[in-house]
Amino acid sequence: MLVLTRKIGEMIRIGDEVTVQVLAVRGGQVRLGLDAPPDVRIFREEIFRVIEEHNARARLPDPESLADAAVIWKEHANGNDKHS
Amino acid sequence: MAMTSTAERATAATGREPSDAVVHVRSRRFGTFDVPRERILHFSQGLIGFPSCRRYVILEHRQGSPFKWMLSIDNPELGFAVASPYELVADYCPPIELAARLLATDPTEVALFVIVTIPPDPTRMTVNLMAPVAVDLRTNTARQIILDDPRFPSSYALLSQQPAVASQI
Repeated sequence: MLVLTRKIGEMIRIGDEVTVQVLAVRGGQVRLGLDAPPDVRIFREEIFRVIEEHNARARLPDPESLADAAVIWKEHANGNDKHS
Repeated sequence: MAMTSTAERATAATGREPSDAVVHVRSRRFGTFDVPRERILHFSQGLIGFPSCRRYVILEHRQGSPFKWMLSIDNPELGFAVASPYELVADYCPPIELAARLLATDPTEVALFVIVTIPPDPTRMTVNLMAPVAVDLRTNTARQIILDDPRFPSSYALLSQQPAVASQI
């Protein structure tokens, strides 16, 4: 891992188009400003992990379960129509 | 592209225009079939956690089903159940403007799908409102966008129409 020390206001450039600037350091927290093209995904790591886990869990549902789910949804939707 | 598909070789051999070409897919789950090129969705970064699978096709599930299959062409054993959120989630108003900006297209050209999770008890099925798939209908460029906003939970229970309780997921 590359380790760099930066002062407040100083920047790091990653590739040609991504910059990271240290905006503030307060207590145990660092505030960063990031600039990148729109096709570069920037998220807090924990958000990324949540989505990764969801995608892994959603992967290839059992066809019978999906067929059941479609029936359950249809009955549920029809039931709501009758009540409204 | 790292892999030359059968369709690309066939195109080279016959001299046909690529627009005629189809991609041949062979899947244990879905059988063997051809996908017209214009129906292929291109994810430049793949789905999150599946970066190497960049081409998908949407297949119908079955008559009357709100779901569709989103099958990877690069790995035909990888697929997801997806759905239009507007059919399944009441009062769903995703930030289409943001999706359009990320895809560099017009908001009127954006289609949105949510990924469906079917647990062993299908009555607890959920959709991921936090990370929908946005498609630019002009180019079929697609991308899984992340909406870091409490209005869009990652596990939204369809039958109860509310965020799923973590212990039930």
